[in-house]
Parts: sequence; C-alpha cells; structure tokens
Amino acid sequence: MISETAIQILIDKLGKENIITAAEDLLVLGYDSTPGLHATPDLVVYPTDSEQVQSVMQVARDHKVSITPRGSGTGLSGGSIPVDGGIVICLNKMDKILEIDEENLTATCQAGVVTLDLFNAVAAKGLFYPPDPGSQKISTLGGNVMEDAGGLRGLKYGVTRDYVMALKCVLPDGSLLSTGGKSVKDVAGYAFKDLLIGSEGTLAIITEITVKLIPPPQDKRTFLAYFDDISIAGAAVSKIIAAKIIPSTMEIMDKATINCVEDYVKIGLPREMAALLLIEVDGHPAMVTEEAEGVERILREVGAAEVQVAKDAEEAASLAAARRTALSALARVSPTTLLEDATVPRSMLAETFTLIERLTKKYALTVGTFGHAGDGNLHPTVLCDERDADEMKRAHAFYDELYEQVLAWGGTVSGEHGIGIAKKEYLARQIGPGGVAVMKRIKQAFDPEGILNPGKIFADGQE
Amino acid sequence: MADKEKLGNFTPENAPEYEDVLQCMRCGFCLPTCPTFALTGRERSSPRGRVSLARAVAEGKLEFTEAVKEEAFFCLDCRACTTACPSGVRAGEVMEICRSQAHQFFPLKHVSKSFREFVLQKMLPNPDLLETSMLPARLYQKLGIQWLVRHSQLLKLGPEWVDKAERMIPELHPPLRPQLADVIPAEGEQRGRVAFFLGCIMTLMYPEVSRQTVRVLTHQGFEVVTPKEQKCCGAPHLTEGDRDTTKLIAQHNLDLFMALDVDAIVTDCAGCGAALKEYEELLEEAGEHDKLATFRAKIKDVSEFLAEQGLRTEGLKPVKKIVTYHEPCHLCHAQGISKQPRELIKAIPGIVYREMEEASWCCGSAATFSLKYTTESQQILNRKLENIRATGAELLVTANPGCHLQLAWGLKQAGMIQEVVHITELLGIATG
Repeated sequence: MISETAIQILIDKLGKENIITAAEDLLVLGYDSTPGLHATPDLVVYPTDSEQVQSVMQVARDHKVSITPRGSGTGLSGGSIPVDGGIVICLNKMDKILEIDEENLTATCQAGVVTLDLFNAVAAKGLFYPPDPGSQKISTLGGNVMEDAGGLRGLKYGVTRDYVMALKCVLPDGSLLSTGGKSVKDVAGYAFKDLLIGSEGTLAIITEITVKLIPPPQDKRTFLAYFDDISIAGAAVSKIIAAKIIPSTMEIMDKATINCVEDYVKIGLPREMAALLLIEVDGHPAMVTEEAEGVERILREVGAAEVQVAKDAEEAASLAAARRTALSALARVSPTTLLEDATVPRSMLAETFTLIERLTKKYALTVGTFGHAGDGNLHPTVLCDERDADEMKRAHAFYDELYEQVLAWGGTVSGEHGIGIAKKEYLARQIGPGGVAVMKRIKQAFDPEGILNPGKIFADGQE
Repeated sequence: MADKEKLGNFTPENAPEYEDVLQCMRCGFCLPTCPTFALTGRERSSPRGRVSLARAVAEGKLEFTEAVKEEAFFCLDCRACTTACPSGVRAGEVMEICRSQAHQFFPLKHVSKSFREFVLQKMLPNPDLLETSMLPARLYQKLGIQWLVRHSQLLKLGPEWVDKAERMIPELHPPLRPQLADVIPAEGEQRGRVAFFLGCIMTLMYPEVSRQTVRVLTHQGFEVVTPKEQKCCGAPHLTEGDRDTTKLIAQHNLDLFMALDVDAIVTDCAGCGAALKEYEELLEEAGEHDKLATFRAKIKDVSEFLAEQGLRTEGLKPVKKIVTYHEPCHLCHAQGISKQPRELIKAIPGIVYREMEEASWCCGSAATFSLKYTTESQQILNRKLENIRATGAELLVTANPGCHLQLAWGLKQAGMIQEVVHITELLGIATG
C-alpha cells in the first residue's frame, strides 16, 4: 500500500486531477491485451512532463513502491501489468509532437503520442515513419520503443529500433538521461539508446523520443495470392526473396484466420482457401513495375491458386487494414485467444507451418496462424476457453513443443511482442543461464532496488 | 427468468451473458473510436474499460457500484466500438443491460420512479396518450415549458437541460400519425407494398419529415400501409434500462406488422430501425425464431430500402446545393448502413457532394445524453460542427431525429449557415 504522505506529495507535484485512486479506475488500468493477465495497482498517475515523471520516480524510491509504466495497454506479453501493485504511471497525457525537422529528417515527440498520429503528422509534410504495429491506431510511441514493436513493413523497412535516434528517459534513481541525437553517426561510448529499446520498461521510463524519417515510396503495388496448400505459400515467400525482391509487406493468413477476418470485414476473401499472402512492393515506379512482374511470375510458377492485384490505393489500404484485424478477429471464435510470436529464419517457414499443423492435431486444438511471413515471424494463435483447464494444459504443451523446435532452428521465442510476464520461462531456454545472468546484472546496474516494472523478463530465481 | 443462475454480483433479472463480456480480448481497437474516451482519456469511460467493469461485476470482483452505473449512462450507446471491434464485442448493448441493472441496484425515489414508469410504461407505449401529452409542448411558445420543468426529475437530468431542451425543440406541427391514411397507393408503376413504421419523435417533432418519407415512397412506386395501432419501437425504454416494457412493446409490434402482407417494413428513424432489428435478440426467449428472423429481414431503413430497390431518377428535379452527410450512429454503427444514403444523395441531379471528416463520429445527441451531460455533449458537438464547417456545405443531410435536433440546435448556436434536412426531405425537394 502507498502511504498518505506519498499520495500527498504526488498530488502536490502532479495536481489532483492526475492522481487516480478510485477502485473502478484502478481495476481497468492493470491489464493489457495479453489473455489471462490482470493485476490491480494501488495508485495511477498521469504525468504531463519529464519533471513530473522524475517526481513520481522519486516518490517510488523514497517509499519503496514499485512503479510500472503504461501507454495504451495494447501489449501482448504483459509488460505493463503491475504484478506487485504499486504505482502505474500512464504516459498518455504526454502526447505532444514537439518537432518535425525536415532538414535532418527527424521527428521528436513525447512518449504518449499515438503511433498513427505521428505517421499522419509526418505524412502531411511528405515524410514517412514506417513502423506500423497492428495496434498503431492507439499504441503509443513510448510503448513501441519499450517493446521494440514491429509491424507489417518490417521486411523492407525494419522495426521500431531501426528508427529511434534519441531518447530522453528517467532512470530509477530519478535522474534524467539523454541518449543519442540527430547525428546519423554516433559511437560515443556504450549505446544506451539501443539497450533501452526493447527493455520493456525495466530500465527506465522514456519521456521523449526522436525518430528517423524517410521519404515515402512514390509508388506501390499490392497483391493478394491464394493457395490450396499453406506450404506452397511458404515456398512462394522463400522464392520471392531468393529472386532478390524485397517486398515492403509479405503477410500470411491461414484458413481459420481468413474465415474470421472475412466474418468481420466482409470483403469477399475466399473461405475455402488454405492460405493467402498479402504482398506489397513499393519504391520508384520503374522498380515497382519490375518487381511486381517478378512477384507475379513467381506466384504463378509455385502454383498459387489465384493472384489478384489491388485495383487502387483504397483497395490496397482496405486489404492491409483487414490483415491488421487478424488477431482480434480470431478472438471472436472463442472466449480466450492465446497468441504467440515464434520467429524463424525465413528459409524454415514452410517447415514451421507443417510443424504447427502436426502439433495442432497432436494436442487436439483449434489454431489460427497468421503473421509476417517475410520476416519468418508467425503468430500461431490457440483459440480456447480459459475455463477449460485441460484445454489450457494442452495449449501450453503445444507452445512448449513448438518453441523447442523453433529454437533448434535458430529462431526466437519472441519476434516483436517481448518477454514480459508471458514468456519468462522461455527466455532462459533461448539465451541460456549465462545470458540471463548478464541481463540481470544490467538490470541491477540500472535499478538496484528493483522498483521499476518488477516481475518482467526474468523468472523468479532464474540465473 | 427467475430461475436463471445469478452471474457474479449482477442480479438475475436482465443480466449480461458471461460470454459477452469474456469475448473482449482487450486489444484496444475500440479506444480511438469512442467519443467519451476521446473526451476524458479515462480508460473506464472507454468500451474496453466498460466491458472490463462489467466483467469484474460478473466475476464477483466488483460490486455494482455508483461508478458502474455512471459509466453505463455516460456511454453514448453510439455503437462506434461495435463497428471497430474485430472480436464482435457489443459494449453498447452490455451497457444497456447495465442500465437495467442500475435501476435494480439504485431504485429511483418514489415520485420520480412513478413518473418515469408512467412515461415509459403508460405514455410512450400508447400513441394516443402520447400525442395528447405533447399538446402542451406544441403550445410551448405560449405556455412556456413549466410542465416539463416540474417533471425534470423524470430522467435525472442536469440543471441546464431545461433551457437547452426548450431551445432545441423545433417548431411543432400536429402529429402525423392520425393524419396518415391507412393505405396510400403507389404512383406510377407499382413496385411493391411496404408498411411504414412511424417513430414517436418523428410523428411528434418531425411530422413534416415523415410526410415526405411517405410521399417519396409512393412516388417511387410503393404502396404504403401505416397501421395505426403501432407502438413506440422501445428504444427509449432500452436506453433507460427498462427491458421488461421493451419486450412487451416489441411483442405487440412484431405481431402487428407480421400480420400485414407487405414486402418490407420501412422506417425513417435510424433509432427505431436499430431497435426493431434487435427484436430478434430481445425476444429470443419467446422462441418464435422463424417469425423473428423474417421480421428482422423485412425491417429497412428508408435509405437502405431505396438503395436496394434502385432509385427511380427520371423526373427528379435538380437540387443545386453543396451537401454533406452526417451518419447517425444508429444507422452506420448499429445497422451498418453507410454507403446507401450517400448513393441516394449523389443520385440527385445538381448536387455537389462533399464528404466531411469523421462523418460517423457521434454528434453528442445520444437519446437523453445531450440533456444529462450538457457539457460533454457540447464538446462532442463542437468537434462535429468544425468538421461540418470545413466542408463549406450549404445543406447538412442526416437520417435520425436525435441527430437532427442536436445538429440544428448546434448550428444555430454557432451561427452557422447550414440547414439540416432529413434524407427524405432532400429526396422530397428533388421529387418536386
């Protein structure tokens, strides 16, 4: 529990309207989008600037209360869930875009800016911020950086990490740290910035972010290809890349996903197909034409059942939007949706699909798979009911076995969602006890008291 | 009903289904579409937050507190979240059910309770009584609205509502219902026979709009049947959380309209259309599945109906106006009707159509919301007015009386030039 004195200090520093104590509010600020996880904070604060974040951190330190940062709560590994109660610090009110620098091609914004708002603001100036996680309409930049969010454009344009140039953050000792800058080159000392990206809110609280912008592609072409057999889709992905074509997007959906998405968007996706690929090539018009021809040729060669070209930008946008709804649309089938984030080297994609199919049968589950095929980043999603203990056990056995093989192939247990609470057990399997020990020492160096976002990344007693 | 198992801390009467709240996977896709979340930034005032509160009550983790009640009524029930939700969660309906729960947990004081019951259970379901009761309102310029003032406890309204309500009410004409012939023949080549569902607000406040609806339908070649025994659609009862009366009314209307030999049941009120289409779920327990499914399939908003049948454009006169369209929540979100009104508008010769930003964003009217939460309603309205202003349109078309009242009032307040017309009024002008 938090003492009255601590609450009073927070009220003095942040104003009464930014301190939340009502039970009903606390109840809805202790979840994210990870199924089955929920905890209730003792107090929630909404700082409006870096100094206020420092004040909150100071109070947490002085009163030995844990503090968990939160954006819009769209995370998929439980990173913003206050497992020990304490203070949840919501950065949503720090939502100003501070600068769009057209000479240096950068944008600087506060941590609570919504991803799509930044995208639109820079697009209005003829610039492009590529990272586009599924929840971009509501996810915050701070959350994107902390989880190193990916998205549909990862294959060609990379992920959030590839765009962060500078960060301002508050460390657990209450000090303000600035790292990185607008310089393209910067090798001064340890790359703190890179350590903070993807640190899941365990090392510092980000207050300000400077990102790199690029000129937008002048042209693009969007394809939808359907397949009778999902492994043919896997082969198509490998062949396109082997032909030295890097599409900006190469997304896959299996039959279950196609049907759920179609139930929601009703744009006439063929329900009988085993898989579809959504492929987009972009860039200079001449290159787009050439690459589009290449993609189309390969799709026909490998034996796609049907290939369609989006007739205009509007249709292309509606296809991408449909893909973004995949996860939530799958959720309509069953009360509980367990989503994973297995990622393999691209060349293993077809094998991974075969494995998922085999395990689905073995554990008698309903599984929908979709994901960023071009990145080897798949989201096998178990559609189940958390009230059915046996089914939940089988679901966990499914993931256990899947991850064992994914790691054997040199893949990772998390491509873009983070470890959080949900995947702590798997981390040690991937990086080994030595890796965990180094990570824990880093955590120790930043946060010796362990007040910042406790209970994440490392399992208890894990060494 | 009484032998139903109790769900957590809900009462067994009119409780939500556990599956309906469990369905939310908390992805947050609803957040950017929710006007009350946009206004407050408060998670509990978002669809995801509201469903979570309901889930906590269902799981016994939270009592049905004042705050739960407050959120149930603060929800606009605009259904924008239903459109945005890929998982099929219907937060608006869950909140309607919570309103009903709220009345069980927090009964109104005796006088207000009997007055509310009188209005919802006696007056609204009885068209004759309703029309007589509006007489004082029709004469409000002479009599003032003391009659309404004295009863301001009715819907637990805020102190500013009286002033606003007075200025919102349009110039009133005699109710339309008693004036309409039971059967009005089609003009030209007959294309079909439809029943007309005439909403309470339409007949009382916008009789001239519905007169145009009937006129346009007959001009388009449809014989129009208007059964006089029809009652309120039940939407006000659902909104206020009186599910039992809603079911009685719904059964009456269902039986009445299903006895008619018509191709479709047409309404020009988006709120009524949405409520009628939901009879199927509402009366589920009665077990008349086929009848309910047929009824549902016959219910058509007038835009939906005309777009489906194809507008006969020969003989339409040009309307030389710049026009924009505001989508009523109960048309686009509750019924998924979005393209059709635009198609009709664009089919009228002479019209320059300009799409506004956020056309499907609520106008802040939302049944009695605009009177209960005057400040919040005004903020939501201002956002809408800015989007209207930016189009430079001369005419603002909409298709629901609640929006009509709110927008006409808002535009006047803001000194803006746009005139609000119902889509059938616009079609009526083109019909000549």
